[in-house]
Amino acid sequence: MTIANQAAPAVAVVGGGPAGLAAARTAADLGSPVVLIERLGFLGGMPIIENYAAITPHLEPAEVAMGRMITAVESHPLVEVVLDTEVTSCEGEAGAFTLTLEGGAGGSRKISAGAVVVATGFQHFDPGRETQMYGYYEFPDVIALQDLEAMLKDHHVVRPSNGESPARVCFVQCVGSRDRQIGNEYCSKVCCGIASKEAMEVRQMLPDCEVFIFYIDMRMYGYWENQIYWPAQEQYHVQYVKGVISEVLPKGDRLLVRGEDTTMGRPMEVLMDLVVLSVGMEPSPGTRKMASVLGIEQNKYGFVEAVQPPLDTVSTSRVGVFAAGAALGPADLEDSVSTGAAAASRAVALLRSPVGA
Amino acid sequence: MRSSPSEPAGAAVAERPRARGAAVKSEAVAGFDDVTYEEKRKLFEEVRSDLRFPDYLYGCYECGICVAVCPSARFYDFSPRRIAQAAARQDVELIYQQMQEDIWECSQCFSCLRCPRGNNPGGIVTIMREVAVNHGLASAKEALEGYSRIIYKIMSTGTQVSPDMLQPDAFPDWGPEVADVSNQLALWRRALPPETLHTTSTGWDVSDRTLIELYLIWLETGALDMIRDVDEGLHMILEEVMEERLEEEGIER
Repeated sequence: MTIANQAAPAVAVVGGGPAGLAAARTAADLGSPVVLIERLGFLGGMPIIENYAAITPHLEPAEVAMGRMITAVESHPLVEVVLDTEVTSCEGEAGAFTLTLEGGAGGSRKISAGAVVVATGFQHFDPGRETQMYGYYEFPDVIALQDLEAMLKDHHVVRPSNGESPARVCFVQCVGSRDRQIGNEYCSKVCCGIASKEAMEVRQMLPDCEVFIFYIDMRMYGYWENQIYWPAQEQYHVQYVKGVISEVLPKGDRLLVRGEDTTMGRPMEVLMDLVVLSVGMEPSPGTRKMASVLGIEQNKYGFVEAVQPPLDTVSTSRVGVFAAGAALGPADLEDSVSTGAAAASRAVALLRSPVGA
Repeated sequence: MRSSPSEPAGAAVAERPRARGAAVKSEAVAGFDDVTYEEKRKLFEEVRSDLRFPDYLYGCYECGICVAVCPSARFYDFSPRRIAQAAARQDVELIYQQMQEDIWECSQCFSCLRCPRGNNPGGIVTIMREVAVNHGLASAKEALEGYSRIIYKIMSTGTQVSPDMLQPDAFPDWGPEVADVSNQLALWRRALPPETLHTTSTGWDVSDRTLIELYLIWLETGALDMIRDVDEGLHMILEEVMEERLEEEGIER
């Protein structure tokens, strides 16, 4: 339905991933009209775009979990979903913004919105970049977390070079994270858990395949400890080795990974059939672009800056504009939907409160 | 020496050639006579207060990427990670032990600049070496012993290896051809296109002005004084050569 001309000011949500879907649904459930604007032709965000197999840590298929959120939003009477469309300008002020939308069937048009929620998310770090010596674009058997997700989704984990089952798989942690030289000094939060989850799934699918994780620190906070880390070691016998891989070299038709087993204090060279790079998060092009279109502050990494930390997680430097999910920085799905809902509540409260939120 | 690089799982812990670390009490450190804790502390403070130190050490993840890329770690019991960690932990005893031993196994190739934290373990080694030389540590004397000829060449001529040092008996591993070359050295050198390379007792032609400036630098910066602590005889010879030459130029110091 079209709700932009209704009397109550709408909340415009930019981005149709987990955070944006949570924001749209929350604002609508609170009785506010919502316009959900998505650049692509479908909703669901990264879990759908990048073919995530199962959601960490409970292993529900991503399509099922996201499908529930999408259906709830699409079928909501107060939500208008606008696909294939981008926001190109935002004028006015809190309570009376005018957004210009471009794309889709309608060409260019303007809508009114009382508040805006930015949920434009992240992109995976490009492991072919700069100091990375892992041969991501050179060797077909060097892949990234999301590439393995796609194979897990197909229930078909093979070496891309020859289609055979791998006998040895390793994960390399902190690729594109925690690195002063690359400029991404932050931890991407989820890669330890995702890698461990994928390691278990590989062991489940290929019980004879040895799986190694080369790490700096394993960071599976809270319940992820016993939901992921312990079973990976205790039930699936994933081998955790403290030491990061410096480079990947071809050796015959296999891959030689070099690093140091730091707890044993020795350099090591190990042959692998499949090397999975645990790539971190960077702001998506959409996040950078929306920050500029909306005129909101970004931090030095390009993520949207939450301006009243730490107890206000969603306010940006422009009153009436809130941010949610991985647009704010590395976030797992729980964080994303939580900040999505928080941003929506703050947006609705702002529009209803006589003194502002 | 360490055993060859090996697999991470299932292999036994490698035997260490000798005990390491502050927990181990020993009369001798790395085969040299031990010194007091105060002396070690002083050496460490000198390393830490070096202007370069804050840029060479931020903090250590202990991720081992520096060891993975280190050529010396593949052949010696040397670890740039242990250098960075010992410095980060301010482990005075271990740092002293490293100054008496480990730092001379580093080839100063700086592959360890790969560090994700931006550390420079090779640079820490550079500082530790300078402090070791400045204080005439036994390891520094031992490490530099084999280089007295090279030090003499560099400090007296400004060029490191001169063609006439390439004698067949000095470098047997260079093969039989070296004998032919050394017999007709001047001729071979004249075959090189740049005229500045038609030299035999220096690596290339060194101008008078360069040499004078070089001598003044050695003297003014205290570089020559450093040699006194590690090789007194060599120091005497160099001092004589330099002062004589400066006198000829009418430069008084």
